[in-house]
Amino acid sequence: MCAIVDANAAHQVFGENRPSAGVEFFNWISSGTGSLVIGGKLREELNQMSSFKEWQKEAILSGRVILAEDNIVLAEAMNLKNSGLCQSDDEHVIALARLSGARLLFSNDYKLQRDFKDKKLIDEPRGSIYSTLQNRNVASTHKNLLRKNVCKK
Amino acid sequence: MESITVKDFRCFHEEQTARLAPLTLLVGENSTGKTSFMAMIRAMWDFAYEHRTPDFKEDPYDLGSFDEIAHFRGGGGGRATSFGAGFFFSPEGRSKRKKGRDYWFDIEFERRGTIPFPMRRRLSSEDKSVWVEHRVMNGSGQLSLGTKNGEWLLEDVFPVFLGDSDQVVPFNFILDNVIGFGLLSREDEHNPSVLKKVWGSNKPSDDEWEYLNDIYESYRRGWFSREYMYASAPVRSKPKRTYDPSRPTRDPEGDYIPMYLASVHFRNEREWTYIKDALQDFGKEAGLFAEISLKRFGKTMSEPFQLQVGRFGKKSKGPLHNLIDVGYGVNQALPIITELFRSDAPPMFLLQQPEVHLHPSAQAALGSLFCRIASQGKKLVVETHSDHIIDRIRMDVRDSTSRLKPRDVSILYFERNDLDVKIHSLEIDENGGILNAPRGYRQFFMEETNRSLRL
Repeated sequence: MCAIVDANAAHQVFGENRPSAGVEFFNWISSGTGSLVIGGKLREELNQMSSFKEWQKEAILSGRVILAEDNIVLAEAMNLKNSGLCQSDDEHVIALARLSGARLLFSNDYKLQRDFKDKKLIDEPRGSIYSTLQNRNVASTHKNLLRKNVCKK
Repeated sequence: MESITVKDFRCFHEEQTARLAPLTLLVGENSTGKTSFMAMIRAMWDFAYEHRTPDFKEDPYDLGSFDEIAHFRGGGGGRATSFGAGFFFSPEGRSKRKKGRDYWFDIEFERRGTIPFPMRRRLSSEDKSVWVEHRVMNGSGQLSLGTKNGEWLLEDVFPVFLGDSDQVVPFNFILDNVIGFGLLSREDEHNPSVLKKVWGSNKPSDDEWEYLNDIYESYRRGWFSREYMYASAPVRSKPKRTYDPSRPTRDPEGDYIPMYLASVHFRNEREWTYIKDALQDFGKEAGLFAEISLKRFGKTMSEPFQLQVGRFGKKSKGPLHNLIDVGYGVNQALPIITELFRSDAPPMFLLQQPEVHLHPSAQAALGSLFCRIASQGKKLVVETHSDHIIDRIRMDVRDSTSRLKPRDVSILYFERNDLDVKIHSLEIDENGGILNAPRGYRQFFMEETNRSLRL
């Protein structure tokens, strides 16, 4: 089971004073139940956060973080941009999901959420959104999302 | 050997198969069966290719008697009455030009007195549809041949293999005769009554005999090559101030290494130049030493000698020091790296904790060396607790520093699960990521990192 964390939501997973829904998501990855996919521009964005940068060293060794080839992600993101299918400017996140098979996205960005759930962009299975917009505390919806198998094989 | 299967052996209860790649790393907590696993690899190799009855008390692996080796669950579970192991061989695993057939080699051990005795041996095809088996039952042997068409006992043909003895009849000898018998029985004019008695109304088809013969040829190449493996001890020998020249006979602790180097130094200049350069190159890369030399006391080869190493300063060459006067890491690494560089190095190495006493930079250099050696057609099985070795291998594979591909590395994670141990086969992907990691893999390290970052 693998997921993507949008850079705008990363502080809720790897930052200080995290909401309990962010801690739940972090524990899901850190315990090895799930794993995080990074690559391309998103990797650069997440690496701006010092705690993530430090954490990912061990997470890569432990198999908690799956690395996607940066160049391939960048190329896919460019193709998506040229296609004009994305409403958000986060083609790099959609590209990463398409290439890695990750189908769970932690994001509070409405446009990106719409793109991620757009069947024309992500399908079989369709994308699911983990968000703290409605509820910053862990709710059953959060737990259910982490229980589902949300990664394309 | 492309994979090893164990069952009811030491801490491994369930039958499980672990993939062996050109470079296989055994990782996991203490007392999770990594050394036992290596001992079984050595035992299988000895039995299959060197025709030696496995000795589970031979250095560097002393697993004890049958009671210590057969899986014991305690309580009502009791002790297993037998344990088994097998390996899969594919000629494709050795060279890109596939020659010959894949086969399985399986052994089942039972108690004989206090020691484990191989009571059943079987060579079978990849899909296990064709096989030859020798089994000791009720004090006498039973030789059988099986295919999809049936199973036949060959006891009337080969009574010589059926006696009960502490000496195990070499399997190659048995197979030689079975294959010869097959050739004979296919010629109708040579088909005496005994053959009719064996086959009855049915017998293996010509295709099945061909298949069996191909498997046998593959297997034969293994023992004809007279290959052996090198198994190192977890702690290597202490250095001495001076050595007396003697015959350098391999041993797990590497006691023989100074004698081997002296022998090469005094007898074969070309070989000495090669091994000296290789050792020095590695020594520099690892920050251990820049020069290695032998100092002889006297004019004849029988006089004592010292093994010396030196470092280079920024501008000039430093003095040479006796091996005993430098850090313990040099002495601990030297047997392993010498063995890896020898021109007559074996095709397979079993290395236990090669990182002992080495600085992290030297451990990382060992990781790179393992990648290089494994990419040259050798097979390395390395038991390690060193993150520096694993991380360097991961990066070297990602960056194509050697010719080693992701598929050429297997990480076997030994995870304790109540009274048993499960072996997880992990892989490295092209980006240096770890694939198939189970939940428990490096959980301790992950928790330490989280705590350190207050996450």
